Amino acid sequence: MAPEMSDVELAKSSKVLMVGAGGIGCELLKTLVLSGFEDIEMIDLDTIDVSNLNRQFLFRKRHVGMSKAKVARETVLKFRPDARIVAHHGNVKDSSFDVDFVRTFDVVLNGLDNLEARKHVNRLCLAAEVPLIESGTTGYLGQVTAHVRGRTACFECNPKPVPKSHPICTLRDTPDKPIHCVVYAADLLFPRLFSADPNAKSDLDEEDAVELSAFTRSPGESPESFAVRVYDYVFRTKIERLLAKEEMWADEKRKKPTPLPAFTELVPEGPTAAAHGTDGLNGDGNNSNNTMTSTACKALGLRDAHAAWTDADAARVFVSSFARIVARDESDGNHGTDKFDKDDALAVEFVAATAALRSANYGIERKSLFDAKGMAGNIVHAVATTNAIVGGLIVIEALKVLRQRKAGGDAGGVATPVPCAPCPYRYTFVKQHKSNSRLLEPMEPDPPNKSCVVCGAARVELVCDVESMTLGRLIDEVLKKKLGMNAPEVNAPETILYEQDDGLDDDEIEQYAKNCKSTLANLPAGGVRHNTALRVSDFTQKFEFDLIVTHRPGDEWDDEEDPDGYVLRGDSVSAESNENNAANGENNEENGAVAEDVDDCLIVDDEDEIKAATATAGTKRKRDDDDDDNDGGGRGDAKEIRIE
Amino acid sequence: MSGIARGRLAEERKVWRKDRPHGFVARPETVDGAVNLLRWECSIPGRKDTLWAGGFYPLTMEFSEDYPSKPPKCKFPQGFFHPNIYPSGTVCLSILNEDEGWRPSITVKQILMGIQDLLDSPNPASPAQSEAYMLFTNDRADYDRKVKEQSLRYPAL
Ligand SMILES: [Zn+2]
Repeated sequence: MAPEMSDVELAKSSKVLMVGAGGIGCELLKTLVLSGFEDIEMIDLDTIDVSNLNRQFLFRKRHVGMSKAKVARETVLKFRPDARIVAHHGNVKDSSFDVDFVRTFDVVLNGLDNLEARKHVNRLCLAAEVPLIESGTTGYLGQVTAHVRGRTACFECNPKPVPKSHPICTLRDTPDKPIHCVVYAADLLFPRLFSADPNAKSDLDEEDAVELSAFTRSPGESPESFAVRVYDYVFRTKIERLLAKEEMWADEKRKKPTPLPAFTELVPEGPTAAAHGTDGLNGDGNNSNNTMTSTACKALGLRDAHAAWTDADAARVFVSSFARIVARDESDGNHGTDKFDKDDALAVEFVAATAALRSANYGIERKSLFDAKGMAGNIVHAVATTNAIVGGLIVIEALKVLRQRKAGGDAGGVATPVPCAPCPYRYTFVKQHKSNSRLLEPMEPDPPNKSCVVCGAARVELVCDVESMTLGRLIDEVLKKKLGMNAPEVNAPETILYEQDDGLDDDEIEQYAKNCKSTLANLPAGGVRHNTALRVSDFTQKFEFDLIVTHRPGDEWDDEEDPDGYVLRGDSVSAESNENNAANGENNEENGAVAEDVDDCLIVDDEDEIKAATATAGTKRKRDDDDDDNDGGGRGDAKEIRIE
Repeated sequence: MSGIARGRLAEERKVWRKDRPHGFVARPETVDGAVNLLRWECSIPGRKDTLWAGGFYPLTMEFSEDYPSKPPKCKFPQGFFHPNIYPSGTVCLSILNEDEGWRPSITVKQILMGIQDLLDSPNPASPAQSEAYMLFTNDRADYDRKVKEQSLRYPAL
């Protein structure tokens, strides 16, 4: 083995992909180039916003509106002009950033803020067999995790806690927490009132005509009269109607709501004065748009965003922001705003006021404008230092992963599991309060979850010409004959391609028959193409695996070398057919165990071996054939050995 | 490689085909030969010996990418007559409620059976529409007549 490389040499000789050039990304890019990395590509979809400047230190005020990735690159090149940095201003989910693209890197480093994109990168990395370092921060908290296929859990092995959604019944009729009032305001009432589509169906709608018209502006009605009418309906009439449903309140534990006073009672100066405040919505009832820039709070002199409003002030802000949104939509010529946007000051005022009034209805603690904005927009204020720590931890894990790869542990770019070596990787958590006198908590990574639908199955690569291979041939020749499957079913990422007949409707059987005649490229939902991952399963044999399709055009095939016109490689899968199980009488128990253990597969590297292995499909392959360490139990053993 | 939601739905689909309760329909929507696992079209039979018998009530189940962490949204046709169905058609049922009964292990079959149960045993403590609620609590004869009428509008296909 070659002498061990220094960290700097390792960094210099590696090519890394960064996804995300925001809070974590800026810190990470700086630490990467200062640690010796000089071959870096990064992807970010975003442009720079004023609110980023306090912590995303590679950006300055003059950069607002420009691509984060491109500006980050330029700034860093000023102090490391020799680095090779490629900046992509784009979405990592674009097809140009495919498995082949990812395969050109030694490691992928995530600094992303949304779950969808993080899952996507996880799947790309698994398919390309490139290790992934994942990261995230929330205020003072942060974490960095390493994901190496076959060695540690993938990003999706364990379900992520998703923010709770709130049931419609609670939001509509029986809220009991401040968040229920905020979500009612932002997700139900706001779109119901201001949606561009007047016919959009809403869970706030009622069946009778009077109630249906409650949320619709009458012809000639001024914005503030409309606002007051909605106020009286939502916070009075609606509550009175609910109270009339007596059985709903039979349970003593359920607190009865209280209707609010009518608007004119609560706000003595009346709707017009309330809506206009000091700066005027407009002086003469004619909607000129130059007065729409102001917010309701400014006009009403409510300067403290952290204060909880009185009922009267909340009612004023409700009517004033409401009227201003209506007037703005009108003068903009657009007919509405479909979704609540946390950066729209009027929308935030409307939501905060609605939530405050609804809290008053239900006797729930009232939140300030500032808090309501944070709750509605799911905002946790970012802490620059956490991002910096996490950026550093990512580089530490990346170096470990790269060292393994270069040292041959993950030779040939493939992360081969090495169950006997201690696992060098760590999950590291950044904490707000120290425990065991530590602010950083390193932990042993989770092992792969065998039943993970994303990474848990064995993988087989099928090289073929997708323009000539039909689904029927794939099923009959590859799955049944070569791999010994009994009743295969095939799913593509977005659709089902083939199922066994039982329990199907006639039109489904017909569709699958049609699919069988189709070439892979012409199948429904975009077809099966280069790098498509199919999920193949057999219910009768209780086993499944991923079949990754690699396209090789017909004219690149040598008839003598590959007379079949396709090649199978990768993990070997061994399917036991039912007939064999039955025939093997005394071995039944053992067979059953094998059939259940999807991971009981040989890892074979060259093609001849796989052919030999697949040729045995259908006959029982004994466990002791697999040398002394068996793969099936390997993962459990590995966990024991890993303890340092 | 498909995600957790689609993986689980493919599994639900398999299980459903093997073990489908009598009279029920549940299948993913198909458009141009492509099967959309995130949206299922279902039909729930009214239970025998109840006012709902004879009707086969159409229901759509909408799953999100967060399924099974989050429950599907279940909807009858707009204006469906039942005390616990919103005028939009959305079903209000504890097992579909993240704060109450929803668990990621609940199957499509259990949801559909739960909704079949709800049809004949409405919960007056969670009224979702006024019309059915008022009749159910104040004028049972008229309520029964309306339910019967509705069952005739949804005959077997
Ligand atoms: Zn996994």
